[in-house]
Amino acid sequence: MSQEADLALAPQADKGAAAPTTAEAAAQSRATKAAPKIDAIVVVKDLRKTFDPDVKAVDGISFYVQRGEIFGFLGPNGAGKSTTIKILTTLIQKTDGRVVVDGLDVEEDPAKIREIIGYAAQDVGVDDDLTGRENLRLQCKFYHLPRREIDARVDLILKKVDLVEAADRRAGTYSGGMRRRLDLAMALISKPKLLFLDEPTTGLDPQNRIAVWNYIKSLNEQGVTIFLTTQYMEEADRLADRLCIIDRGKIVAKGTPAELKAEIGADVIQIALKSDGTKNVKDVAREALLRVPGVLEVQDYDAGVAVYGKNGGTLVAQIVRMLDDAGVPITQLTLSAPSLDDVFLKHTGHQMRVEEVKPAGRTPWTRRRRPGP
Amino acid sequence: MNFGNLLVEVEAVFSRWIKKTLRRPAFLFFSLVQPVVWFLLFTQAFRSIADIRTPIPGTSPTQFITFKDFTGTDSYLTFFSAAVIIQTVIASAMQSGMGMVTDLESGYMDKMRVAPIRRGSILAGKVLSDGVRIVLQTAIILLLGYLLGVTIGTGVGGLLLLFVIAMAFGIAWSGISTFIALVTKNSEATLMISLLTTFPLLFLSTAVMPKPLLPDWVQTVATYNPISYVADSLHNLIIFSSIDWTTLGYAALIILGVGAVTLSATTAMFRRTVSG
Repeated sequence: MSQEADLALAPQADKGAAAPTTAEAAAQSRATKAAPKIDAIVVVKDLRKTFDPDVKAVDGISFYVQRGEIFGFLGPNGAGKSTTIKILTTLIQKTDGRVVVDGLDVEEDPAKIREIIGYAAQDVGVDDDLTGRENLRLQCKFYHLPRREIDARVDLILKKVDLVEAADRRAGTYSGGMRRRLDLAMALISKPKLLFLDEPTTGLDPQNRIAVWNYIKSLNEQGVTIFLTTQYMEEADRLADRLCIIDRGKIVAKGTPAELKAEIGADVIQIALKSDGTKNVKDVAREALLRVPGVLEVQDYDAGVAVYGKNGGTLVAQIVRMLDDAGVPITQLTLSAPSLDDVFLKHTGHQMRVEEVKPAGRTPWTRRRRPGP
Repeated sequence: MNFGNLLVEVEAVFSRWIKKTLRRPAFLFFSLVQPVVWFLLFTQAFRSIADIRTPIPGTSPTQFITFKDFTGTDSYLTFFSAAVIIQTVIASAMQSGMGMVTDLESGYMDKMRVAPIRRGSILAGKVLSDGVRIVLQTAIILLLGYLLGVTIGTGVGGLLLLFVIAMAFGIAWSGISTFIALVTKNSEATLMISLLTTFPLLFLSTAVMPKPLLPDWVQTVATYNPISYVADSLHNLIIFSSIDWTTLGYAALIILGVGAVTLSATTAMFRRTVSG
């Protein structure tokens, strides 16, 4: 943690000098002391974004992204994931804080940052009137690829995302999964060093989801650093080398998925309770549960209580008996090895709800208000 | 970043919009419905306007001032064709903002904005393609007019000038709808506000009726109405056989003035929108 804070401060402390040198120097001087060498491609320090009138979408977050890794941003809808990604990709301006991408300040050098990043938004940004191939050729021109290289590049990327057969059909005729793959191809056409993927699998069926996962992994193996946001625990767990859990504009936990789960250090038993309206069942339950030998901690969440303890299997019988004696009605009980769900619950006191709100395709002329900032 | 890149960018955005327009013929014909109806019905219903004769007092035998004395033609259809062209150009210009709204809504605008393309190229390519679309739509209306018997008095040179005026006026006027689009970010609102605010101006100009035949207050409005000057130049090109460069010069000045205002407002609004 302190390592990271120093690193984030480095470019700020020496504003006149070139940021990359400072960041790298800091990373190297650290490396001599600390074990893992930090070579950050993104450094974010105390980032804040407030929308009118007083919505704190991002409320003072700091993190870094290591060059070459898949970095995950996990959180529910409205947590501030998209806002952060839009600031990092130069789409919106921050209210406060400091953001350095590949040694470039996001406010001073947005044009240079755009040269090296790729971005696939939550809303698929393909032109439905153009064919897949035309969409990609256009993207090549936006990135100033030499004219003679365009054809070969487009052919190659079409093959990679498995759209060769559909290449000359209008994107408007594509399925949701195909549109998503085309969008990904458009983000990759310029061979970005750093790829931002905002909820790349939201709205996809399981089959397409796995295809996108595999593709993201293979890209990363080829050396592309990936910044990924997701509201799926499983996705973060499978893909991310390191991740931040974000809720209501704040980072509540960070580390590798394994570290985060190990932090819990115990099995988790989630117990949903039925309230009878006369007394606070959670309080009664907590009191009763803390008397069970082996229970380490009891935490409230919206539907009931979460119990952390060693040897969860043997605990369950005692827990049920104890709650029954205390007259607390159980509606549901689940025992699990710690998952990122539990990490989220532990840090926020509520469960993460996944909301599927994105339509797969869109016809022009239908009115669709952008969901709030 | 060099000049070559700039051309590639503008051409890329321009050709995208041209392709989109041609692939949605409905989009191309949609705004032509009303001008066509006017051309076919309005001119029939009002054709006798051209027969109105005003007696000149104190002449013996009584002499008359005719429609032709005011306008140079005795056909209301010919006179009115200028109004139809202007209406076509206005309606066409009003479509301009709608593509912008679609891009903002679909996320395509963000795709362009994260690319290292100049912000100005996104707007310039769009505006140029609007100009071409407006010329295409004007050509369709002129063809219809030709079939109905409207000819261009000043010949091929006049026809080319007419296209130049239509395109320049259209681009200048399209700034209004693009501006509204960027403010409202809503296609219905863009179309409605654009039409309601600019359409009445057509009737308060010399496009539909020669100035001396308009009521006094409308004459006053028409004098300050930019559309009057464009209409006068079109009347000149269509009705007469020689080009009146003074009338054309006024039209050019007015178009430049309107264009400077609408396009700089649009550019400012566009910069605000895309800078986040």
